[in-house]
Amino acid sequence: MADKDAGAAVPAAVSAGDDDGPQVEGVPEPTYEWMGLSNEWGVRVKPGEHGLRLGDLNVGIYGEVPEEWNDHTRRPRGALPRPGIPPLPYNLRRKHEMWADCAADLYEEAIQRRWIPATEVPWGSLEPLPEEVERAICQICTEFCQYANTELEIITYWQGQMSYGYFEVKQFLATATFDCARHIEAFRKRALANGGGLGIEQRGSVNRMILESRGGWTESVTYLYLLRGTYTMALYRMLLNAAHNDAERFIFSHCIEDHARHLTYGYDHLKYAVTHHVGQDRILQTLLAIGESIMGTELKEGTMGSAMAVLLGGGIEGGRTIGMETYLHGVGDFVRDYLALGEWIGVPREENLNPMLKKYLVY
Amino acid sequence: MSEAPVREQEHELDTSWMDQMGEWGIKAKPGKRGLTLAEIQIGEYGELPETTDNMTGRPRGATPRPEAYRVGAYGVRNLSEIWLENATFLYEEALQRQWSSATDIPWHTIEPLPDDIEEAECLLCTFFNEVEFVAGDVPARWIAKTSPDFFEARHVLIAQVMDEARHMDVFRKRALANGGGLMRMSGATSGFIGSIDLARDFTEMSTRLHISGEGAVLTMFRMGELMGQNDAEKRMYRLCAQDEARHVAFGVMHLRFLCEHAPERRPEIECYLDEAEAQIMAGLQNPAGTQAETSEALAILLGGGKAHYDEGHKMLLVIRRRQLKEYMKRVQSAGFGERFENGRSSIPEQYAAAY
Repeated sequence: MADKDAGAAVPAAVSAGDDDGPQVEGVPEPTYEWMGLSNEWGVRVKPGEHGLRLGDLNVGIYGEVPEEWNDHTRRPRGALPRPGIPPLPYNLRRKHEMWADCAADLYEEAIQRRWIPATEVPWGSLEPLPEEVERAICQICTEFCQYANTELEIITYWQGQMSYGYFEVKQFLATATFDCARHIEAFRKRALANGGGLGIEQRGSVNRMILESRGGWTESVTYLYLLRGTYTMALYRMLLNAAHNDAERFIFSHCIEDHARHLTYGYDHLKYAVTHHVGQDRILQTLLAIGESIMGTELKEGTMGSAMAVLLGGGIEGGRTIGMETYLHGVGDFVRDYLALGEWIGVPREENLNPMLKKYLVY
Repeated sequence: MSEAPVREQEHELDTSWMDQMGEWGIKAKPGKRGLTLAEIQIGEYGELPETTDNMTGRPRGATPRPEAYRVGAYGVRNLSEIWLENATFLYEEALQRQWSSATDIPWHTIEPLPDDIEEAECLLCTFFNEVEFVAGDVPARWIAKTSPDFFEARHVLIAQVMDEARHMDVFRKRALANGGGLMRMSGATSGFIGSIDLARDFTEMSTRLHISGEGAVLTMFRMGELMGQNDAEKRMYRLCAQDEARHVAFGVMHLRFLCEHAPERRPEIECYLDEAEAQIMAGLQNPAGTQAETSEALAILLGGGKAHYDEGHKMLLVIRRRQLKEYMKRVQSAGFGERFENGRSSIPEQYAAAY
């Protein structure tokens, strides 16, 4: 249907014979009241080496990003307002609540680096794996589907509440949601393509923490990217190193690319929020104290650790030794990255790090 | 690694999950178009519940865990409320047809235009920016409300949000690329009662957004060969039309599914269509509508300047008629064509009068 619709496109419209009505009688007199109504005219942005990018448009008043955007309508930034327009529920209207300087560039990068699981993943490279390993990768894929599902649900919860003064962020988040949909798709396909199936769902402690973060988008970013996201990146890296075939290598390397963009935005936003909003660092300290405890519990009780160990160890036997050790080193890397990022963002956690995370630093 | 400390008891391997997997032994194979979502709708993984009690965000077919948190708060849990038969196709097509406004539009073909034409183009771009805002914000709101058991339909909506972000960006780029700028906002997309924004039911929203709203815009985009003054604009409209056709197809196919699986909702849907039709020509949301100032801009673009306004206006009437005709076809295809024969709809009259 869509094919047909798209295919019909323009030429048919141009030659629509039966749409040729009789001669016009009495064309209404145009008012042209809208002419000349612009805040800034004469703008001529030129494409650069990488084309005409979103960030290139930030010239003159069109590039002025206000600290506070009190317009509750859908007025594009820089367009002239029209009085009398009923407000819409845009609850996030301050720059520090969502901004990251890199958002426009990340948006364009996401578009350039798009990939298609159906046709670009070399599915033909999948070969039967030992039963225990197949079960492990399928369990991991199941949990990754839930990670991505949580990410897209929390983003879309906030996206419609973000005002248009900061459209670059909304644009970038549209790509992030699209990436998450693709990750769900790719992990589900991998689980169902090699003689396995999906596993058991997570209990979902961290998912709940993320989805219940209703104190503002910054709070969600803290849990979604700084805690869960940094851990996910550590897992992706381990899985890329341990990939059994080209299909898995393709999936994990592309998920790393996508996820790196999400994390770049997340970390950059948190730094911006801490730098530009007095007291934000203290709020983040409190949030992280709570979040570390929930994260630590999930690391201890969740199934991801065991599934990773079996996969990295090549089976249950190896999972008890080298597999578990490799995984624990990966978690140690996650905690070290987390501490370094906290320091960079302006929320140092080393002194108050929850013991449930601290213990991984020995690996 | 060899110096790893002795692991605590808690790091011992628990493999109880291995005995709690979903249906096992699934081997989906790539088809002619690769390994699409349709190819993995097999066994229990392809079974769609009429009503779902999945409130934990569990992937369809995975084993439920009794102690999992109910974090979903999903309001859309009935298949008929969201489903469409070709969701997998539309999603895969959206992935295949993504494009980049930065590099796929031949921006170098833009040449300075006469002031009246540049202003008309910029007014239209300002308007389309607002329209694309709605079409991105509103579907996004429904994604987290929909059960992941219906993820194929949800994925199409996510692809739509991505498409709309790109449309918004391409129209902003055009407005700022040729010596013009953004103009005064229309305000036509605000939250009036009965608008796309405020709908509290998915099908109501989809009827307004996909069938009447985006349908009218799709007709406009398809006329891009006439409106466009250069290859950049023509390509911009062509690519947007391609995306928009998918969004409209979602609405039509969803309405068709609802019509077949929840016929008791027909009278309610007819009411939404009544409201949409009352607005389709007179409403400000339609850039070619009778009350919209964008209509003047369109007449200038179609005619080739203010000096040829009358010719442009005549072509605008062709667009209006085409909008109505295409709308009727979509509603017929969705299973509600009777309204055009039994006198309920005013569209046939509007069509006859649109000269």
